[in-house]
Amino acid sequence: MTGDPWILPGAGPYCKGCGHPLVLRALDEALAVLALDPADVAIVTDIGCVGLADSRIGSPHTVHTMHGRSSAFASGLALADSVLGTGRLKPIVLVGDGGATIGINHLIGAALLNPDVTVVVHNNFLFGMTGGQSSALSPVDFVTATTREGNLVSPLDLARVLLASRAPFVARTVTGDRELPELLRQAIAHPGFAVVEVLELCTAYATRWNPLTGAGLRELAEQAGYELGVLRDDPRPTFAAGWLARHGRATTGRAKPATTSPARFHHDVAHATGIVLAGTAGERVQTAATLLAQAALLCGLHATQKNDNPVTQGTGFSVSELILSSEPILYTGIERPDAVLVTSADGAAELARAGVLARVGPGTLVVADAGIELPPLPVEPLRLPLRSSSGPKLAALAAVATWSRSAGMIPGAALRAAVADRFGAAAEGVAAALEPIAPAPSRPG
Amino acid sequence: MELVSGNRLTALGALSAGCRFFAGYPITPSSEIYQTMVAELPRHGGLALAAPDEISAAAACVGASLGGHRAMTATSGPGFCLMIETIQYAVMTETPLVVCLVQRLGPSTGGATQGAQGDVLLAEHCVSGGVTIPVFAPAGAADCYRLVRAAFEWSERLRTPVVLLSDKEVGMTLETVDVAALENGSAPPGRRAVAPGTTRFAPYRRPCSEEPPDFAPVGGPVRVIATGSAHDGEGRLSKSSPEVIEILASLQRKIDAHAADMALAQTELAAGADTLVVSYGVSARAALEACRRVRARGRRVSFLKLETLFPVPVSALGPALEGCSRVVVVEENLTGLYAGVLEPHLGGRPLQRVTGLGGMIPPSRIEPILEEAA
Ligand SMILES: Cc1ncc(C[n+]2csc(CCOP(=O)(O)OP(=O)(O)O)c2C)c(N)n1
Ligand code: SF4
Repeated sequence: MTGDPWILPGAGPYCKGCGHPLVLRALDEALAVLALDPADVAIVTDIGCVGLADSRIGSPHTVHTMHGRSSAFASGLALADSVLGTGRLKPIVLVGDGGATIGINHLIGAALLNPDVTVVVHNNFLFGMTGGQSSALSPVDFVTATTREGNLVSPLDLARVLLASRAPFVARTVTGDRELPELLRQAIAHPGFAVVEVLELCTAYATRWNPLTGAGLRELAEQAGYELGVLRDDPRPTFAAGWLARHGRATTGRAKPATTSPARFHHDVAHATGIVLAGTAGERVQTAATLLAQAALLCGLHATQKNDNPVTQGTGFSVSELILSSEPILYTGIERPDAVLVTSADGAAELARAGVLARVGPGTLVVADAGIELPPLPVEPLRLPLRSSSGPKLAALAAVATWSRSAGMIPGAALRAAVADRFGAAAEGVAAALEPIAPAPSRPG
Repeated sequence: MELVSGNRLTALGALSAGCRFFAGYPITPSSEIYQTMVAELPRHGGLALAAPDEISAAAACVGASLGGHRAMTATSGPGFCLMIETIQYAVMTETPLVVCLVQRLGPSTGGATQGAQGDVLLAEHCVSGGVTIPVFAPAGAADCYRLVRAAFEWSERLRTPVVLLSDKEVGMTLETVDVAALENGSAPPGRRAVAPGTTRFAPYRRPCSEEPPDFAPVGGPVRVIATGSAHDGEGRLSKSSPEVIEILASLQRKIDAHAADMALAQTELAAGADTLVVSYGVSARAALEACRRVRARGRRVSFLKLETLFPVPVSALGPALEGCSRVVVVEENLTGLYAGVLEPHLGGRPLQRVTGLGGMIPPSRIEPILEEAA
């Protein structure tokens, strides 16, 4: 690229004695030893004093991101590069303890995904830039701008959280550690997610309010029960490696390109026809509606299918509103249904609630299971033992087949073809539901 | 012909537009876009990620896009709210990004399986400082394919986030669509790249204030500086120098300068019409049906379906308004959100809002209003 240094010389925008520039100097050493192409390195900075580091970067790319989200951006950069790009890009995240905790889900997510990202957490135990407020990493009794009498909350052990998140490389040390450049080098060289937590001083606030010195950082670590050094170095396959092993870099395009097939069956749909099919979720109501729509498609018709169900997918009602028409369909709701097919009490209750039954007119064909209650309607429903003769999972298809026979608009052959297309070898069992059903001997009063 | 949903065609359209990166988080009614991208991207040589939340999803997409890859995510209202900070970041860093916002009934968790058009201004006004992000609104499955391609085209061209605004009904309703007829477009051109051989470049210096800067990918040979902080042309953090303010102004100017080219609309004008019906998204279908029904009964009404909502497609509005003495705007939200946006552009003509909540507005609710004389 430009022959610029990795990290620019000079003090930078930090207070005297601040830990951030010490980490930068160690990073400079680590990068010099690694001798990567600067084009393959992106310094991804978070928000806070630590984020000002982007102005100190010489030759690598810099991406200055949002508070706490740096590792999510870096993950996207790294993964896209691994699978779609050069496969060489190494994003290095610089984040504070504030950013690490507001964005902890991104750190955990990145540790689990295992992209080739290195995260350097600059833990000065408080929010520096905003005036020394406490963070989730402030030790107990730590004095900050928001804990003037000492912090009451136990601090999070971030390195342990990331160990538990299966981060393959985790290290923790203090700014005074002569091994810091080597730890950073190992982290960056590591082929997947690596995190180094560096305990450091904020001289503007932390050392002003607490009896803390650079030399005392190790003691603080000990008191907090923080082990120092490399806590794990156990590479495991990265997400990108797994992805490429499974999918390769194939670019064959869509599996089944669209085709336009000519109509195979004749229909007798003279005007747009609205059919409401209602039953119980999990009983293949929407599948039955789709089969009818597919049958219509095989007849060269236009169709729409609007489905409705409660948020849960497997309980309560399930309703499909189908429109079949020889013209393109605009409004996909049904103002006056031509047919209402009801296979269960759940379905009937929903149609009553939604006002569909109130819109049944003298010309509406109503097909209902023989066992369910319906309010008085302006037409006599066709009552059939749909559930008992076809089983609950095929009752909706039986209702659709009944409509097909009664209305005479879509031939049974088209329905059978749609069933065969969808179910292949299993079609025979399903097609039984297309056979006529004898009315039940009696029905409830 | 295929029986296919708008969500599925959104995904296929995105793939045809060259989208190769998707990060998603499930939420009804958008999840099918996520699932389709997961299923389809591998065989297009792309990458799909299961993000741990919507902030991660949007940020991962921006990361991929900074690397030069076309990226998309999909969500609904609650997830969109979580993405707003990242969308602003994409605006500030001038990073292309397509966000599919499949609306459901809000506010808050609202009604997951209930359509609505309540997020139209949320999508548009989510950017501090008033920067316009382009918003396209499909009314059906085929539109989803076409307009997600437009979303990618403009996102790349202007280096901006773009929202594809559909809803539960447009996204999840199955329709017969001639997919083969849609499928022959090549991917729209990408961002304008830095001149080959460039060694140093100022990442935010632009050829003129109506154009975005040239693009170089993070990870490429030219050093890139990207920042969400106010910056000068070099990408240096600066507070409010004239250059910084000029760059901020250009974020809007580049959109305004291309507003007429971005304006997509369909019209069905009637000679001698006194009323213009304007609608968008799912409601446009009912509005057009109502127009046709009353026309069959002798009423003269014109119809305008807006496919570009922002920047406001004034160029499409002008000709449709000619001769009309009133405007009826149909949309499925409480107060007529977009009608308020259109009002200043109607030349003082009286505006009638047809609004609704909790279900699609049926044509029968629109017809009586159109039957009244203007
Ligand atoms: C979403 C969001 N919330 C709050 C802020 C304000 N803010 C700026 S810096 C900062 C704290 C940074 O602390 P830390 O991450 O520990 O970094 P340090 O300043 O100590 O280097 C906060 C809260 C912000 N920029 N964005
Ligand atoms: S306020 Fe604290 S963290 Fe920020 S530069 Fe000063 S010493 Fe460093």
